[in-house]
Amino acid sequence: MAHKRKEMLIDPLVDNNPITLQVLGICSALAVTSSLKVAVVMAIAVTLVTAFSSMFISMLRNHIPGSIRIIVQMVIIASLVILVDQMLKAYAFEISKTLSVFVGLIITNCIVMGRAEAFAMKNPPLDSFIDGIGNGLGYGLILMLVGTIRELFGSGSLFGVTILETVNNGGWYVPNGLLLLPPSAFFIIGLIIWAFRSWKTNQVEEREYKIQTVEAH
Amino acid sequence: MGLRNFFDKIEPHFEKGGKWEKYFPMYEMVESFLYTPKTVTTVAPHARSYVDMKRIMTYVVIATIPCILMALYNTGYQANLAIAEFGSSGWRASIIEGLGIGFNAANPVANMLHGLMYFLPIYITTLVAGGVFEVIFATVRKHEVNEGFLVSSMLYALIMPATTPLWQVALGIIFGVVIGKEVFGGTGKNFLNPALTGRAFLYFAYPAQMSGDSVWVPVDGFTGATALAVSASNGVQHLAAMGMTWWDAFLGFIPGSMGETSTVAAFLGLLFLLATKIANYRMVLGCLGGMIGFSLLLNWVGSDSNPMFAMPWYWHLVLGGYAFGLVFMVTEPVSGAHTNLGRYIYGALIGFMVVMIRVINPAFPEGMMLAILFGNVFAPLIDYFVVQANIKRRARRNV
Amino acid sequence: MSDNNKNAPKGFIGRFLALPTDSVPKTIFVAVAVCLVASMIVSAAAVALRPTQAVNALKDKQINILQVAGIYDPSQDVLEAFAAFEPKVLELATGEFTDQFDPASFDDRSAADDPATSVALSDDPAGIVRQGKFVTVYLLRDEAGAIDKVILPIHGYGLWSTLYGFIALEENGNDIFGLQFYEHAETPGLGAEVDNPRWKALWNGKKLVDDSGELQISVTKAVPPAGKDYHIDALAGATLTTAGVHNLVNFWMGEAGYRRFLENLKAGNV
Repeated sequence: MAHKRKEMLIDPLVDNNPITLQVLGICSALAVTSSLKVAVVMAIAVTLVTAFSSMFISMLRNHIPGSIRIIVQMVIIASLVILVDQMLKAYAFEISKTLSVFVGLIITNCIVMGRAEAFAMKNPPLDSFIDGIGNGLGYGLILMLVGTIRELFGSGSLFGVTILETVNNGGWYVPNGLLLLPPSAFFIIGLIIWAFRSWKTNQVEEREYKIQTVEAH
Repeated sequence: MGLRNFFDKIEPHFEKGGKWEKYFPMYEMVESFLYTPKTVTTVAPHARSYVDMKRIMTYVVIATIPCILMALYNTGYQANLAIAEFGSSGWRASIIEGLGIGFNAANPVANMLHGLMYFLPIYITTLVAGGVFEVIFATVRKHEVNEGFLVSSMLYALIMPATTPLWQVALGIIFGVVIGKEVFGGTGKNFLNPALTGRAFLYFAYPAQMSGDSVWVPVDGFTGATALAVSASNGVQHLAAMGMTWWDAFLGFIPGSMGETSTVAAFLGLLFLLATKIANYRMVLGCLGGMIGFSLLLNWVGSDSNPMFAMPWYWHLVLGGYAFGLVFMVTEPVSGAHTNLGRYIYGALIGFMVVMIRVINPAFPEGMMLAILFGNVFAPLIDYFVVQANIKRRARRNV
Repeated sequence: MSDNNKNAPKGFIGRFLALPTDSVPKTIFVAVAVCLVASMIVSAAAVALRPTQAVNALKDKQINILQVAGIYDPSQDVLEAFAAFEPKVLELATGEFTDQFDPASFDDRSAADDPATSVALSDDPAGIVRQGKFVTVYLLRDEAGAIDKVILPIHGYGLWSTLYGFIALEENGNDIFGLQFYEHAETPGLGAEVDNPRWKALWNGKKLVDDSGELQISVTKAVPPAGKDYHIDALAGATLTTAGVHNLVNFWMGEAGYRRFLENLKAGNV
């Protein structure tokens, strides 16, 4: 059992990563990764919401009627998200200003709903909690990777600490402005998926078409 | 034929089982650059044509020659004009002074030479940086290095401002080759134009070096907006006050990216491409129609606050990258539409978008690059609907 | 479920829980219960945290004012440092302070949307559509009690967004001490360079009006005829954001903005 739980935690990091394999939660991954600090807070927020919503939903799983199951899940997730949002506003105001609407949008993050529906409805609370943590960490891992690249090369800093002195501040580094724009996260996530699939070839999807060859005669 | 013998002698090493088997793409690249490919069409014997990929790509490069010449001349001409006012500095000036040619803007040789010293480093950087990545992908994927890169690299170098730092040139072409082409599977499978993808990358990544007033003429201290930027803020009439006539713009004696200022040079290339049937006239007609139609509409609508509304179509034609993009990018067969009706629609969409971006978007005075990439993205969709409509029409006929 | 009888459900809630999950009464029961619990938790959190949040929002604004006045010290308590400022509600048309509103609770932005306290602009170079008749300004006094600096809120449209900020002026109402925007969405790397400390430092020591009383301040590429004292260099590559800043500063420092107040200030009538 312990072995299985450890796998639940580690599996979503690379082998079954919610962003790179399932391509879920892309919207917030684009929006909040221009600085690492914000990406970390967002990752923590999503991890907490996923873990606790999975746990609560799992505790209720035998009593949730099928007909209103999605709505019940949504109510639980939404309440948790509002809690997180209120906490951030009270204790991390600067960050909540940068995250602005994206904290609220955790409600619509497919990872949270996905884990609730796919895992928590069928598994006991502790397992669901661990599964939620694991998926949150998988999401966080990609967010941190993207955030590191974007902040380091886009602003020349990490966690707001200057690493590469930019030209505008008298240094030598010419920051790459594209990386500060959300579309750049698309390229970076694409390249990360490319790297992951070159490494773990079993993640490569089967082609939907066949290349036909004509024999010469 | 000593060289041929040399190739024949080393070829077995690169073939299957040879000791340099892995590097066959590199051998093939050099060999087929110098000689006609030995492989000939083996399948589908009903398709007979003397045109192969190598010939198409060579023709496109030939078509760019007028633009290259104008790029050299105008870059040097603009630089020499500015030097008369601001003085010269840097290694280029030292060489020119060493040769005793001087900076006389009235002397074509001086202009060409000065321009060459800006164009050549950018072009060589493009070839080396992009070429390295082409070869890496060809080697890993075991296919041949394609002549298409010669075209992409030439077009890419021609749409750079003369002041672009070389490391940015390298970064841009690498992005263009990898993200614009190789991730989709290489030449023939790219739905974006690699040269423009690289240019767009630089435009958004390093806007200070790719737009603004001080990047078009490579002389320190000189600032001059492009004709489009001037028109956007003061109206096209203001160009005359700055000494820019329509004929200057048509011939290409205005500041801008190196190869795209001259409309007449681009049109010479177009004639060649149309005569050899490499460029499809439908895309050209569509693009002209879209641009002229929409700019006439905007002329008619008018605006008090935005002087660009009043810009006539014949100015849109000669300013910015419109003509160059029309000739070499819109007509590019791989990233464009593939059905005949689709080609008209594709061209018209780009023509419409150019005017739209130039006139209505406040942030980007130049619209051709973004319009063509936009068209590239829509080309498969256009084809899909054209094909579906055709299927429906024929199905109805047979009910 | 065979030994249902042995452990017969007890109590009201227990009876509901024992119902088949998909039955109508249980569906309604679960829906109501989940909603009740969730709403209680959410409202409890909102009520409990509201005071902290309000303080945060206030602090955020005050930090900006402290920064533009050049006296922000991260180690010092914000509320304490801000006590040096005296907020006042100013009537733009007269250039005099009014006691109609309490400066502590007056909200400039909602007042600018309210037809009773704002005017629709016909001549609108700053692109703000409606301008409030009253604004909150902040006075910083020196030890002797004389005005040292005034902090005036300004806003206007750039390229993509409305820029909100403060301008700090010296006691003569003409010398600029500093300018700072605290809210905007301009292009990163270009227009967003309005936040660059090097660029902001350019504002220090510039003058608004020349000796004849003509408003000369400009944010442009070329130095205007009035001279360097009235000129702030444009942001490289950000033509439209620069034009926006130029327009909004000229608008707010002009007749429709703080002109009367600044004249009063210069004459010592404040």
